[in-house]
Amino acid sequence: MSRAKRIMKEMQAVKDDPAANINLEFVSESDIHHLKGSFLGPPETPYQGGRFIVDIEVPMEYPFKPPKMKFDTKVYHPNISSVTGAICLDILKNAWSPVITLKSALISLQALLQSPEPNDPQDAEVAQHYLRDRESFNKTATLWTTLYAEGGEEVANPNVDEAALYGIDPTVVQEFVAQGFEKTKIVEVFRRMGLKNLDMNDNETVNKVVEELLR
Amino acid sequence: MNSDEEYSLVYDDDDDDNDSLDFYEALPATEFAINISKSRSHLSQSSEFDIEEDPLSNDDMAESMLDVHVSASAKRALTEGSVPDLKYECLTTEDIFHRMLKRVDHLQPIFSIPHEDILLLMQLYDWNEERLLEDWTEKMDILLEESGIHVSHNSNGIEGNDKNGNIRGVKFQESFNCIICCEEKSTETFSLECGHEYCIDCYRHYIKDKLNKGNVITCMDCSLALKNDDIDKIMGHQSSNKLMSSSIKSFIQKHNNNYKWCPYTDCKCIIHLKDTSSFAEYLRVHCSPFVSCKSSHRFCFSCGFEIHSPADCDITTTWIKKAKKESENLNWVLSHTKECPKCSVNIEKNGGCNHMACSSCKYEFCWICSGDWKPHGSNFYQCTMYNNEDSKSKTSVEDTSKTLKRYTFYYRMFNEHEASAKLDWQLGQTVENKVKHLQEKIGVSWIEGQFLTESLRALNEGRTALKWSFAIAFYSDPSHNLTKIFVDNQMLLSNSVEDLSELLQIKNPEKIMNKKTDFYNKAGYVTNRTLALIQCGRDLLRKGICKPTN
Repeated sequence: MSRAKRIMKEMQAVKDDPAANINLEFVSESDIHHLKGSFLGPPETPYQGGRFIVDIEVPMEYPFKPPKMKFDTKVYHPNISSVTGAICLDILKNAWSPVITLKSALISLQALLQSPEPNDPQDAEVAQHYLRDRESFNKTATLWTTLYAEGGEEVANPNVDEAALYGIDPTVVQEFVAQGFEKTKIVEVFRRMGLKNLDMNDNETVNKVVEELLR
Repeated sequence: MNSDEEYSLVYDDDDDDNDSLDFYEALPATEFAINISKSRSHLSQSSEFDIEEDPLSNDDMAESMLDVHVSASAKRALTEGSVPDLKYECLTTEDIFHRMLKRVDHLQPIFSIPHEDILLLMQLYDWNEERLLEDWTEKMDILLEESGIHVSHNSNGIEGNDKNGNIRGVKFQESFNCIICCEEKSTETFSLECGHEYCIDCYRHYIKDKLNKGNVITCMDCSLALKNDDIDKIMGHQSSNKLMSSSIKSFIQKHNNNYKWCPYTDCKCIIHLKDTSSFAEYLRVHCSPFVSCKSSHRFCFSCGFEIHSPADCDITTTWIKKAKKESENLNWVLSHTKECPKCSVNIEKNGGCNHMACSSCKYEFCWICSGDWKPHGSNFYQCTMYNNEDSKSKTSVEDTSKTLKRYTFYYRMFNEHEASAKLDWQLGQTVENKVKHLQEKIGVSWIEGQFLTESLRALNEGRTALKWSFAIAFYSDPSHNLTKIFVDNQMLLSNSVEDLSELLQIKNPEKIMNKKTDFYNKAGYVTNRTLALIQCGRDLLRKGICKPTN
């Protein structure tokens, strides 16, 4: 029964340290092995101002096996899947040690937002964006933070520009829309080809894009 | 090539590939033996043989086999594919561990730190001595910290305790609050010099899982390493052995170029290839590196399958892959029972011999082709030949079904022989018992009983070669002359194997001693035919007549 005791103690530790601004609560009273944690986006990063919610599943063998964590909040980050919220972090896998707590794991996630490791990516598309054009990446990540992490709840916002959501230059998208292509399709093709920007005079690439669009 | 009264394999000069084709012709066994050793020394020797072979009746064969002698080295060279260059040894995990300890002993004077610490370093460096020594001379102190031998200065070890001397080991605490399990109790605890102290239960939990991983186990909170001695203290007597054997397992996996596990179930042997530099050269000259472990399991070092000569590793893997893919379709066709061709009674084959006699109508037939046995017995065996002429006139629409049919045929042959080989092996067990029985009952000495074991071995090798020869035949160009010769050789071997197999179905053990020469003759003939088939298959491969296709 050491697991239950330990989880309760960890909850207490989180409550005892309000300065860390970390939140940890049970999803339901009846199941102490399923929790939600949340923390603030680190300052001076595109994630500043957001509160990120993490889904935590505590396995039977805890604390000798790592807890399963994934982001509920959508995050634009090289080591976090933009689709599922899965996290690529060594301490949640083979580098886990029983001395790590849920609190320290959440702090590690916070640190991960602070310093991405694009060379060991979870989301290749995002990682490429990060490596190729940091400024554009930061813009997109900030947009995601505003959209998904600030309200606390995920709202489907119909006014969000799809192109901006994936850091694609809206003017270029507009060019293709003018040619009569559907916007969703254009964004999809750009994402698939790993393009964020395009020089309309670069005929070779433009042709490739058109080819893909016509498929 | 059907048999009239005479069966002849004549090589004509017009064939482009007739250099060094000398040794796989259907030679009479006597000449064959000499020829093998000759051809080994003069591989390029080109000579021509014009041999006529009578359809040997069993008696003739027995006579001609009387003075057969195959030189042991030539035999080994062909069946095991080993030239003196392939140096390997069979080890167990214990052997490897002892060697590791020896290497540690050897390094001890250079490092002058305790043996256990060197063991840790070697584990960290995957037993790469050179790299370790290089790093050791460059940055000894950092290395000692990194490897967790010394307490790291910038670790978050409990400050100040260092001087008080945290004692490494198990202690008893009256009231201890363990931060892992959050229980307060009087318990034994464990800590290393870093002072990170946890209750023994948590430590046991922590270590238990890690024992199977084979990596160095560290303190839960820092990089200080637990030594084998510590593990034994926590987990009880000799638990570190488990860690060591998992460590050796991962060592073998990492060095699988020259270390391989014996693929046989439950066999704990490890084959270590001593000289990897000549290995590529060896592969070029010989098809496959066959090795044999201490429990005399023989397998191919490259692909990990059983002895698959005359096929090479490529053919073998392609064949196995194909078999896996196709087997679902074919399995139902190749069920283990057959109906008697005459009275349709269901027959299960419970012995290795393909000469069947229906228990209900006494009809004698061949298990493979379901044809009457009579033509098989005295004449040359046609079962191994897939008749291409049959389908020649058919339209291209039937082409695919033809390939499938062709494959089905070869796959079935392969399977039949595999099944037979298994049954032969079972038969072998009974024969062994019979030999023992003989020893006790009629006072036959052990050495005199050996002819049975020898015969079994020959039978087994013959069957395996025969089995894999169908993989070769399937991938070979059927129109080529050499393929035809190969098929002829297949037939000869098939015949001799069935003969021997039948002989081994000993009905009355008392009379067995009288048949001793029979056994010797037939086993010898099987061995020679096996060698001929292997050699011929090798040439098919070498000349590119047999190529794996998907």
